[in-house]
Amino acid sequence: MTDWRFMARQLARNPLSLMGIIIIAIFAFLAIFAPLIAPIPEGHRDPYMIPRDGYSATPRPPSEEHIFGTTQGQYDIFYGVIWGTRSAFRVGLVVIGIVVAIGIVLGSLAGYFGGLLDEIIMRITDIFLAFPALILAMAIVSALGPSLNSVMIALIVVSWPSYARLIRGDILQVREEDYIEASRGLGASSGRVIIRHALPNAIYPTLVMASLDIGAVVLTAAALSFLGLGAPEGYADWGQLTSFARNWIVGPQGDSLKYWYAVTIPGLFILFFVLGWNLLGDAFRDILDPRLARR
Amino acid sequence: MKDLVRIRDLSVRFYTYEGVVHAIDDLDLEIRQGETLGIVGETGSGKSMTALAILRLIPYPGKIESGSIVFVDRDRRGELELLTLSEDRMRAIRGNQISMVFQEPGAALNPVFTIGDQISEVYLLHQRQELGYRAKQRVDSLLSDGSGFAASARRPFWRWQSRLYNKIAEGPHALEPRLLSRIPLFKRLLWRLKDEASLLTVDMLKDVEIPDPARVAAQYPHQLSGGMKQRAVIAMALACSPKLLIADEPTTSLDVTIQAQMLELFRRIKVDSGASVLFITHNLGVAAEICDRVAVMYAGRLCEVATIEEMFLHPSHPYTKALLDAVPMPGKELQTIPGALADALNPPPGCRFHPRCPSALSMCQQDKAKLKEIGKDHIVACHLF
Amino acid sequence: MELRSYIIRRLLLLIPVLFGVTLFIFGITMLFSPIMRASLYVTDLRQMTNIGLVIETYGLDQPFWVQYGTWLGQVFSGNLGWSKVVGMPVWDAIWSFLPATLELAIFATPLIILMGIFLGTQAAAHKDRPLDHGTRVMAIFGWSLPTFWLGLILIMVFYGLFRGLLPPGRLSIQMDMVVNSADFIRYTHINTIDAILNLNGTVLLDALRHLVLPVITLSVTQVAFIMRLMRSSMLESLGKGYILTARAKGLAERVVVNKHARRNALIPVITVSGYVLAGMANGVVITETIFTYKGIGWWAWQSAVRLDIASVLGFALFNAVLFVLVNLLVDILYTRVDPRMRLGEAVQ
Repeated sequence: MTDWRFMARQLARNPLSLMGIIIIAIFAFLAIFAPLIAPIPEGHRDPYMIPRDGYSATPRPPSEEHIFGTTQGQYDIFYGVIWGTRSAFRVGLVVIGIVVAIGIVLGSLAGYFGGLLDEIIMRITDIFLAFPALILAMAIVSALGPSLNSVMIALIVVSWPSYARLIRGDILQVREEDYIEASRGLGASSGRVIIRHALPNAIYPTLVMASLDIGAVVLTAAALSFLGLGAPEGYADWGQLTSFARNWIVGPQGDSLKYWYAVTIPGLFILFFVLGWNLLGDAFRDILDPRLARR
Repeated sequence: MKDLVRIRDLSVRFYTYEGVVHAIDDLDLEIRQGETLGIVGETGSGKSMTALAILRLIPYPGKIESGSIVFVDRDRRGELELLTLSEDRMRAIRGNQISMVFQEPGAALNPVFTIGDQISEVYLLHQRQELGYRAKQRVDSLLSDGSGFAASARRPFWRWQSRLYNKIAEGPHALEPRLLSRIPLFKRLLWRLKDEASLLTVDMLKDVEIPDPARVAAQYPHQLSGGMKQRAVIAMALACSPKLLIADEPTTSLDVTIQAQMLELFRRIKVDSGASVLFITHNLGVAAEICDRVAVMYAGRLCEVATIEEMFLHPSHPYTKALLDAVPMPGKELQTIPGALADALNPPPGCRFHPRCPSALSMCQQDKAKLKEIGKDHIVACHLF
Repeated sequence: MELRSYIIRRLLLLIPVLFGVTLFIFGITMLFSPIMRASLYVTDLRQMTNIGLVIETYGLDQPFWVQYGTWLGQVFSGNLGWSKVVGMPVWDAIWSFLPATLELAIFATPLIILMGIFLGTQAAAHKDRPLDHGTRVMAIFGWSLPTFWLGLILIMVFYGLFRGLLPPGRLSIQMDMVVNSADFIRYTHINTIDAILNLNGTVLLDALRHLVLPVITLSVTQVAFIMRLMRSSMLESLGKGYILTARAKGLAERVVVNKHARRNALIPVITVSGYVLAGMANGVVITETIFTYKGIGWWAWQSAVRLDIASVLGFALFNAVLFVLVNLLVDILYTRVDPRMRLGEAVQ
């Protein structure tokens, strides 16, 4: 598919998308080499639980020992944000991966076969879409008990309907086109026609949405963790780290920005991670739009 | 006959991603007062671009590179160089002295406004003084006829309105009405202008033979058929009695029967208004029906200009001859013009038509032919002459 | 099709969806034990002392469909259970916290819509020029900001650094006393409106001061979204044939853009405004929590953290129904704005 090469070239040319790719690459690097960058201390069992240097509640500023300082409960911020990168990728990629898969299956079925199956699937998506995402996720997480896995399940439940609809819509458009008729005329079975012909063309808008959504999913997950409904205390998760900062936003009189590192640093990581994916997704959208118009 | 529009050495280029396209190349053309000039050509011949150039509406990435377009102004009785006019003055001419009718009436009309609104817009824009005058007259008649308590109570209000509209009638730059029109709520006090514009609109719709014009004026574009829409667009173009009406393939998207009606309408407009018409089409038959003179263009250049009779009796340029030959006739084998359209990015050197020309000479490959007069009112750009 | 029959059709289609919504919520409740579910039915705390009786009365050990029926009946009679977090029936809790959130919405919505539309139009009109690129970067940034983090930073700067200039909460302590005193009549429980109605300038100012940061936090993400949408919608509109016609009529560019292009561009933006509302519902939870602004978002968070399922589910249900109704309203608005959708076709 020369389309991919064209797309890749366009992506490389656009300064914003280039920035997005670089940002994601940096985060990927941090995630992959986490054990080297923020080594697991001796005897520490679960690498995803941030090591604590003492138990005092007051955060300590950046120092030689703790490059980004420590937050409430003496959790090392540097360790937290580095290993948090892994959590972020995990949440983003797993949720979106599953959601896209579900969306493809249900969307294709609805779009291709139409009729009653389509109606049923559409009503079901209507029901799910009637809930604002965060609120439904909150309800599901409280039912399942707070943990990062509950968050992921909740996000999957919340996100799949949009994809099913998107893919269904694309398949509906593509279904009417002549080359589908032609394939069927040549005797291809419905499944084959969907997979080999309808889907590849429906994929592009899905790509746009997926890359934008990875950012959105990570944001929602961070929000849930921040609210105390996600990762447990001390887990290497950006949202979780930020929740510690709630009590330390304003320092003592005369030095109100004293604990800035506890608030700012984890937040910046979230911001840039999401920014990278959004830049990529936005660039995708710009590339695909004029192409679709030119067709 | 005097010239209304004189185009000299017009060149329009498009700076696209793939390269530079010479949409119009050194065009010389006149449109005379009161005549209907047709421009005939295939896609890419530059005929639509000529129209847009006159109105200075060439879209990006196009640019009018060089040349001159002189227009005889209606009110000041002088000659205007359109290409160097300020944008403000150009806007005063668009829709007013020179107006345009497009190919797809459905696309040309804004779907969220009524037909009446869109036509009234032209009156409100260009004939404000006239509208002000009419509004004043109407208020004055209320003042003189009105009797009874209700009338005398509103008298002061009417007197103020009369003064207001009088100001508008005198000149478009009076302070009071301009201030009023800027303030959202007070804008409504100028409603009489809209009323007068609506009346003129309905009259105009009647002129273009739209049945039940008052009702149509209140409708939206999607509620009308193609033919009706096109008539509405023509009404919009004729509203301010332009001196030049440009019609870019106005009948191409319509049914054949409607086409015939439309041409009949154009013929009547010709006679009634005395305006010049620049009629762009790719259909020689249509051109024959309604044009006085015809210009044939190919690949951005002029090939031949002649009166309709001369063109059909003595077609001189090989391209013109080929076009006439290609018209299907019963009993005759279908003729085509061999070769493909000139590549816009890399046109053939010398005469653009030479690769497809049956009578091409060796000099046709290098030199562009100059326009020569070969008969009464008949010029050709071809080395054969 | 006629407007009325359209509305009726849509309302009819609503019913299975609402049905499904309630079924879905109920399905979630069934993940809990009967004892926990008891809070969904009781209206009085004292009833909780005799759990066995509650289970029997509401049939909490009956099969799924019977329970669903009972629960649905309760919901229709306005009983959404008991909120242990605030010690009152869920229904009452919703209505007591709603005004605060409405106040936020009243200030945030026009801000979001007007700024989004304005910036989007400008970006489209100046395509590929610095303004367009600038707004685009701003939009992507705004989109990527974690709302909760923005709130924290804003507090850090405007409350911490600038010494209490823009504090969290709804009202300062003194003003709170004023508002609850006998002299001040709370018509709507929306502080700003009540302050105006009571002709009390100090309360008004205080309320506004407390609103600035939450409104900004709530708006940033949404403005980014609307702005981008408006931009692409405007670009599409500006590419249409009627724009050339408008220019050929001699209209000034400003009129062409603001009148002809924008009216058409607004149509898809209106349809998306339903999603804006949903986005606000999300943002409201986070924003209210951070600023300790006691609206329904704050209440929902408290309930979620303290596992007060009656509250959380009541909130979710309320939200879903509201959302569905708002979408219906938006669809109706859409038919009014786009003439093509409005009238019966009568082609001559």
